[in-house]
Amino acid sequence: MILFIVGIFLLFAGGIVSLFLNESLKPLISVIFSFFSTFILSFVSLKVLFYGDIIKFSFNLPFPIGDVPVIIDPLSAFFVLLISIMSLISLSYSIGYITSYRGKSNLASHYFFLMLLICSMICVTAVQNVIFFLIVWEIMSLSSFFLVIFEDDKKEALSAGMNYLIMMHISVLFIMAGFMVLAIHSGSMDFSAFTQVFSENGFLKNAIFICLFIGFGIKSGFVPFHNWLPKAHPAAPSHVSSIMSGVMIKTGIYGILRVINIMGIPTLEISYFVLGISVLSALYGVLYAIAQHDIKRLLAYHSIENIGIIGMGIGIGMFGLVYENNLLAVLGFAGALLHVLNHSIFKELLFLGAGCVYTRTKTRDIERLGGLLKKMPYTGWLFLVGAFAIVGLPPLNGFVSEFIIYIGLLKGFEIKSLNILVIFILSIGSLAFVGSMALLCFTKFFGVAFLGVPRSKEAQQVKEDPSFTMLLPMIVLALFIFTIGLFPQYAIKLTVSATGCLTGGRVDIAGTLPMTLMNNISLSALAFLGLTGIMLLIRRSFLANKTLESFKTWDCGYQAPDSRMQYSASSYAAPFLSLFNPFFALSTDTVKPHGYFPATARFSEKKHDVIEHYFIKRLTGFVNGLFKKFTWIQSGDTQLYILYGVIFLVLALIAVAVY
Amino acid sequence: MLIGFLNILVLLVLPFIFIGVINKTKAFWSGRHGAPILQPFYDFVRLLRKGQVISTTSSAIFMMAPAVTFTSVIMAGAFVPLISGRSFVDFEGGFIFFAYLLAAGKFFCLIGALDVGSSFEGMGASREAGFSSMIEPGFLIILSSIAALTGNFSFGAISIALEKAGPFGYLITFLAAIAFFIVLLAEGSRIPVDDPNTHLELTMVHEAMVLDNSGFDLGLIIYGSAMKMIIFASIVANLIIPSIINVYISAFIFIMLILLQAIIIGTIESSFARLKMSRVFEFVFIVVSLALAILALVTMRIYGGQG
Repeated sequence: MILFIVGIFLLFAGGIVSLFLNESLKPLISVIFSFFSTFILSFVSLKVLFYGDIIKFSFNLPFPIGDVPVIIDPLSAFFVLLISIMSLISLSYSIGYITSYRGKSNLASHYFFLMLLICSMICVTAVQNVIFFLIVWEIMSLSSFFLVIFEDDKKEALSAGMNYLIMMHISVLFIMAGFMVLAIHSGSMDFSAFTQVFSENGFLKNAIFICLFIGFGIKSGFVPFHNWLPKAHPAAPSHVSSIMSGVMIKTGIYGILRVINIMGIPTLEISYFVLGISVLSALYGVLYAIAQHDIKRLLAYHSIENIGIIGMGIGIGMFGLVYENNLLAVLGFAGALLHVLNHSIFKELLFLGAGCVYTRTKTRDIERLGGLLKKMPYTGWLFLVGAFAIVGLPPLNGFVSEFIIYIGLLKGFEIKSLNILVIFILSIGSLAFVGSMALLCFTKFFGVAFLGVPRSKEAQQVKEDPSFTMLLPMIVLALFIFTIGLFPQYAIKLTVSATGCLTGGRVDIAGTLPMTLMNNISLSALAFLGLTGIMLLIRRSFLANKTLESFKTWDCGYQAPDSRMQYSASSYAAPFLSLFNPFFALSTDTVKPHGYFPATARFSEKKHDVIEHYFIKRLTGFVNGLFKKFTWIQSGDTQLYILYGVIFLVLALIAVAVY
Repeated sequence: MLIGFLNILVLLVLPFIFIGVINKTKAFWSGRHGAPILQPFYDFVRLLRKGQVISTTSSAIFMMAPAVTFTSVIMAGAFVPLISGRSFVDFEGGFIFFAYLLAAGKFFCLIGALDVGSSFEGMGASREAGFSSMIEPGFLIILSSIAALTGNFSFGAISIALEKAGPFGYLITFLAAIAFFIVLLAEGSRIPVDDPNTHLELTMVHEAMVLDNSGFDLGLIIYGSAMKMIIFASIVANLIIPSIINVYISAFIFIMLILLQAIIIGTIESSFARLKMSRVFEFVFIVVSLALAILALVTMRIYGGQG
């Protein structure tokens, strides 16, 4: 208990101390504080995860809040571990990254908000009282808002920040509504008391769950609540995007899992709801990612995809609970939790890599990059590891969790139900489609940005800055990716006791199907890696005494190839995307060439987010129009305001007199 | 033991014969004598002995890609059921690992193509990535439907599908065999998806991706792509062959079925032209349609009349 408090306090103290330091010391000191805190917190949470020493204490706050129970059960511990380690990694990256922002006024408070964000995320996973939960949740949203608008001299950052702030408050509204209904029905503000409200199936149970799911879903970025992600991520500095995408959106997942934990046994309807919305998110996210050419927007859409995959795991687990099929529940939740871990690792790596590219080239448009692997070899190869992992290919970590989710879907056939069979098989098909679209997306991304020849002067002149502080975090992440991918039988143990929290009871997977599967995967992945190595050696020995010639790329006899003749990212994605045109809101600008000597001709096409374009924009337009009708109230006339005051007082007095 | 040895031969030697038979069939239809059946093997050996020309724009990815792709195919060969439904490695969900393994190889193949910075190779990569993204969902839907039918989640289950399916068996295996044959055509870059003999870069798919590869690397690419065809052809063969018959008869039928597929491919290539690029998407999407039909049949078989 005391260790946990010390850990949190260290983070907070680090934030406060950083306020009083000069610019060059801020990052370093924050990292040092965060390092010790991470050390303590991971010790605490590992103890909970592996020895089951659940930490329980409560503290008393003045009137409206009261007793606040803090419980670190394995589910919380899993997220505490994740948040503290992954945040530390991004934070250490920022030491090198932030140097390019030196002299900005916002730097003063930047590290304060960063530390506050980490601190509040950990608190979110630990407190079990509604009011205090909402307070730390709000601190989390606000501090991340200030991080998003770090470059507040840019209009893009400000508008993204406002969008984010508003979405987060819609989110908190739903969470509040859901929790308030629970609090009213149970007469208590503690999570532990809510279980009884969920005891009978029916409309109330479903409504509360869906309300909370929407609230937490906005935070995590489930479609159709995703529209803040592709805006906020490009606007924020890279280490912030990496914390937000790698860790912060997972607090939404934590919220959903906590609600399931409180609920015990979900109903069939909400299981269908969760699985359905997750499949939709995964497909939607990756389809839109293919259409993006801004590095960070693309990665943001991939977060939506991966949240969808995590949600599929959760959905499978819920079906397992409903049908009392323990194996199914374990596979679903373990797959989801492992994917939470995996996604935060490779997504952080990719965002940090994107940060390296951005600081060196000053552009986020992949159409202007090219050939970076030769100029920035460290970043390039590390980025390749991340890209390979996010597509979910063996032998890296992304495959492991997707595989568990696949097996969960297959094992769902054992529930003898027609609906489930059909829906699960279609989900398998969707997951496969998501995987192959992700393959297309990242071959596009990596191939266009890092391979070939530079497409612009920026990319031509770029040089790697192999600064240790920026590379080390990325190397560590790549090592995580390999370790989990090659030895998943150890990684899955991290999720076991947290899974137990959700399936009600201790889970022992030694000798059961998940463990055999992991052993098989591990052996096959190692074999694949080993064989590849052997094959490369064979190649080398074959070519050892052959003549190797360098010559320019085959260009069909044309003698002056230049970089503009390369295939671009748009053309790479075009044949595939043209099949999905109905799912995009297209706006094209075309001037066709005509005459014998066409002087002007141009073509450009923009693919807008269809949900944002047709739904959210209209909704906000409507709300704006509605509120404009009330502007006459605000006349700016002092007398009128006094009149309002008087009318209010009179009405209040009448109300008091009547009742 | 003997079957294991035969399986190794199937995986390593049959690819050359497969291509040889296709070419012989094409020669037959055009009234030529044609090259000897083992010509692809001689070509392979010859390529291995050659030096290489490497594009100046390329990086290490370009050099690695063919070897990685080849490894993924050979490893996938260890997962696929060969003679009498036996594979070297089989575990629950093995077919998912198989599909992702091939995807891993494809990832390297695609970025290897993009590495040289040529628009031809980019175009080939773009087409190949698009087509295969249409195939993957159908492929896994069929295999998991069959898994639901047999109650067995390993890849080998496809060889017992025929018996387990009862009255629907012939229909399901027939549709699945057609679907996998289409996958074979698409993954092996044969007509009507891609024309392996085309000499115009603009109309190429797979060939365009490997324009700049030569020597050892080109040999691996050609060998790997032939091996991939054997892999899909043996899925088709295993669907058709009943698992209860004697192993040696089964081995004989297996090899005959694979050669029959080579003859069918050769005949198709002699009688059809490649489809227009935009129509290829529609063609490979047939796999998904067939997969959904199989899913419907499987649910009818399992829950027929019970709702």
